[in-house]
Amino acid sequence: MHIPDGLITNAPSIAAAVVMWIASIAFLAWSWKKAKATYSRSITALLAISSAFVFAAQMINFPIAFGTSGHLVGGTFLAVLLGPYAAMLSMTIVLLMQAFFFADGGIIAFGMNAFNMAVIGGLSFFLIKLFTRGSAGSRRLIPSVFIASWVSVMVGALLAAVEVSPAFAGGILVTVPSMLFYHAIIGLGEGAITTVLISSIQRMQPAMMGGLTLLKEKTKL
Amino acid sequence: MKKHLAVVASIVVFLAVFIPLASSSPDGLERVAENFGVEEHAPFWNGLMSDYAIAAIGDPYVSTLLAGVLGTFMVLLAAFLLGKMMVPKNREVLNKQ
Repeated sequence: MHIPDGLITNAPSIAAAVVMWIASIAFLAWSWKKAKATYSRSITALLAISSAFVFAAQMINFPIAFGTSGHLVGGTFLAVLLGPYAAMLSMTIVLLMQAFFFADGGIIAFGMNAFNMAVIGGLSFFLIKLFTRGSAGSRRLIPSVFIASWVSVMVGALLAAVEVSPAFAGGILVTVPSMLFYHAIIGLGEGAITTVLISSIQRMQPAMMGGLTLLKEKTKL
Repeated sequence: MKKHLAVVASIVVFLAVFIPLASSSPDGLERVAENFGVEEHAPFWNGLMSDYAIAAIGDPYVSTLLAGVLGTFMVLLAAFLLGKMMVPKNREVLNKQ
């Protein structure tokens, strides 16, 4: 769902791009502030490795139906490993590298992509927190991870649909239903991959799931 | 440290195995744009390795794999530096609020 600059076609889409730049900067500034108050040195290696993995995983598109493909976004995956704040920052780095070096996702559209994937991905942490009632040992953890992954893709797709709608003659009436249709299926892939990754890490390297220690934290905004 | 190197090595192996298997079909957004006949205009910035390929390398598998490995290491380094900047030097334990 990386929005290319090629879909920023007219004044309303430029306005949308500016709004999403501002919204993303606001959320990233918040997550930076929270991250500085939250993490210990031990986050550094995990942050580096999990960001690198998400970059690699995003390169591998899996086919869904209708001659269409999708790939892991990894926002919820990062949120479970790193917590919401570092997850947003980590995904932003992945998206920055993709935009600047690989022309995957635009530069004008960067605020949109950062919001749809990095901010929403990080925020999906709070959905897991809600479903598990703040307990990392909850039996609901894995189902919560699946649902949060699916929802994060759907919310990202919904936002993307609205953001690119000025380029479409039919506007949101055509972009929203069709984006949600394809991403409802892509989101199942996101949920399946994230769930498999998280449950394997939980079994083999439970200490890596550092983000979950933040589940109990009372969130002060 | 050894464990970290092992994970990085397995990311490279993951790319080497899965790049040839990856679907080249349009993704959800590209599909929607195609369905409604929306043409993307040419971007003003093409990146150095546009579409995850290194132009100088003819073989598409080698080209994409090298671009992917390079990107993986760039993200690894950038995220590591971010982590260093993010955490104050003297903090050892996770801050329980």
